[in-house]
Amino acid sequence: MSENHVFEPGILALCCHHCAYVAADLTGAMRLTYPPNLRIVRIPCSGKLDVIQTLGALERGLDGVMVAG
Amino acid sequence: MITGEQKPLEEIKGFLTNGRKVLVVGCGTCVTVCFAGGEKEAQILAASLRMSTKLGGDPKEVSDVTVQRQCEWEYLDVIEKEVQEADIIVSLACGIGVQAMAKHFPEKWVVPGLNTNFLGLPEEQGIWTEQCQACGDCILALTGGICPIARCAKQLLNGPCGGSENGLCEVKRVKKDGGIPVMETDARGRQRPVMEDVECAWHLIHERLSSLGKLDLLMEVQPPKDWSSSRDGGPRRIVREDLLLLDEG
Repeated sequence: MSENHVFEPGILALCCHHCAYVAADLTGAMRLTYPPNLRIVRIPCSGKLDVIQTLGALERGLDGVMVAG
Repeated sequence: MITGEQKPLEEIKGFLTNGRKVLVVGCGTCVTVCFAGGEKEAQILAASLRMSTKLGGDPKEVSDVTVQRQCEWEYLDVIEKEVQEADIIVSLACGIGVQAMAKHFPEKWVVPGLNTNFLGLPEEQGIWTEQCQACGDCILALTGGICPIARCAKQLLNGPCGGSENGLCEVKRVKKDGGIPVMETDARGRQRPVMEDVECAWHLIHERLSSLGKLDLLMEVQPPKDWSSSRDGGPRRIVREDLLLLDEG
């Protein structure tokens, strides 16, 4: 919940090192901003991602998982 | 291999009312290769149970461990410590593994997380079919490697019945996806299960023996099968005297 009690879901973005993470990196290089409730984690390859890791994120209280690759 | 399908989460949760610490035990053999109860499925079930019981207001401490085979004592010895710390064991093995766990840890409450289905073949990715009924008296040499005991609805021994048409059996099968019947709406708006065709085993046998030039095998009339080697004699047992460990004393 944000200060004005609007639901802002915590999202984990699992980004492939070779493509989506480069885009996220570019966001920083261009001094663009993204919402603080989005957490980006670089993974070696989105093909390696397993449902267990996404469940782990939900178990730790995040509301959603985005896989980008 | 032995095939199985995981029980619905709600049913498994219903087994956990009288305990706080739950251990999900996966099995690394048959149920791993049919994606029902291996290490990955044990981890997913443990995470699902942790979240689901927490949301339900009765959080359980759920951990998981996977052994190479739950149907051998040696592999169960290595998880002794984890088992002793748990109140309830959810076994993701076939019925053999569940019973082995219950026998090996007699003071523990062991519940099944799977429904054991049949002795089957992974026909193609995601499809398993029943091939053997473990009748204890194999007749595949007479039928070209296609079993009419497991694959003919009537378990006939001397050719197809009148219900065989265009290579298909008159008995249809309820189509299922992940163990759940696939439903359709009929002309009157009622829900009914979708039925799918089943190959006639005797048609397949005839086709195969014909292509191999061995149709003469079918000319011999087979007498009624001796079912005493099957389940009709009660639970079966194999004893190999040459393999028994002799008492040194």
